[in-house]
Amino acid sequence: MGKILHDLGIDTVKLTAQIIIFFIVYLVLKRFAFGPVTEMLEERRRRIAEGEENLKQIKDNLSTSEAQAAAAMQKANADADRMVKEARDAAAAAGESERQKAVSEAADIIKKAREASELERSRIMAELKRDFGRLVVDATARVSGKDLDDNDRSRLNSEALAQIANN
Amino acid sequence: MTRSFVAILTLLPAVSASAAGGGAAVPLDAKPLFGDQSLLSFLTNSIFVALLVTGLIVWFVRGAMKNPQLKPGRKQNVVEYIIEFLYNQVEKILGPKVGKQAFPLLATLFIFITVANWCGLLPGVGTIGFNEHQEGWSTSHVETPILRPATADMNLTVGMALASFVVWFYITIKEVGFWGFLVHIFGPKGGLKGGMGIALIPIFFIVGLIEVVSIGVRPVTLSLRLYGNVFAGENLLHSMGSLGSVLGMKGVINFLSVILFQLPFYFLEILVGVLQGMVFAMLNAVFIKLSTTHEEGHDESHAH
Repeated sequence: MGKILHDLGIDTVKLTAQIIIFFIVYLVLKRFAFGPVTEMLEERRRRIAEGEENLKQIKDNLSTSEAQAAAAMQKANADADRMVKEARDAAAAAGESERQKAVSEAADIIKKAREASELERSRIMAELKRDFGRLVVDATARVSGKDLDDNDRSRLNSEALAQIANN
Repeated sequence: MTRSFVAILTLLPAVSASAAGGGAAVPLDAKPLFGDQSLLSFLTNSIFVALLVTGLIVWFVRGAMKNPQLKPGRKQNVVEYIIEFLYNQVEKILGPKVGKQAFPLLATLFIFITVANWCGLLPGVGTIGFNEHQEGWSTSHVETPILRPATADMNLTVGMALASFVVWFYITIKEVGFWGFLVHIFGPKGGLKGGMGIALIPIFFIVGLIEVVSIGVRPVTLSLRLYGNVFAGENLLHSMGSLGSVLGMKGVINFLSVILFQLPFYFLEILVGVLQGMVFAMLNAVFIKLSTTHEEGHDESHAH
């Protein structure tokens, strides 16, 4: 055993020196490489996760905004449709009202015209009756050759008017 | 230019061995640089290379991680890539909790062994040194090379294996406790309970003893495997380099044969270098995994 160790050059001092060298490498790598790199990787992983989380949130916000915009657009369209319909209805109602008003005014005008016409007719009839009465009286006076008094005149007018009324 | 190229080639182990005109003669052990009786007798050619490798790793890592940025530079990117890759491998085997504890040791083993193995392939390692018979420097008849691959020294491989053993034992006791460790080794396996479990206690005790021997042998197997591979690689390169001379080739043909015979094995050694680093680290990961894994039966008892 001792010969094998000797042949292979195994020696306590050299072995200790090699272990110390390995330990130095271990400490250096742990202090300057493994620690900072694992921290860096962890930090990077955290940032990537954070970025992905933000991205997800942005996507969520975007979809929410899109949904809100779509809803607002839909509501605006509905409102616009309603307002147009209301405007149309109002316009139709106003038109109908105006038409009714015009019809009513026209009826009034026609009525007034009829009344005026009736009055005119009555006036003309009255004039005609008066002229006719006067003509009858004048004609009777000329034909009979006598002066007619007021009673005769009144009787002749009444009879003439009665005949006209009967006709 | 051609002279410079030839000068560099003579530093390769094969060319050097070929120039020596004989077979490979890589000594089994590392040699002291300042003699056996010197105060610096512990400073062997292998320890010297281990120090150079340490310096190289420190220089590179400090340069890369001096001012770490979230958006990494080229060097930082390399370091991060290696460490992240290793961390993921360790985490896959050991899980996040134990993996975090064992990662610094396992990653150090892999990085140090791989860099040391590759540094052993550099021109000059094993080919520049002293020749006691010629009393001076030599690049052709080297008896004590100044530079010897760090992992071609049993002191380093045994040192790393012992360090791994200590860390393995610490993590195991921390995870399962001393009693849990004993139960894990000597206790009934496969969730056996009741009469059958009691009846098989002697068998499991003997199995436990075999397990203890197997655990005790681990540092030996780990260190010998690594040493054997690297030492064999050194010998292989020297042998391939001297093959032309052995076959009787001379002059330019011999020179070309050295390059052609040796070149494929350089690529092989590059692969072996990283594979041995990976094997050493992963075997330690598996050892830790085996001793910290809770059996279902044990889990239930812990849960209660």
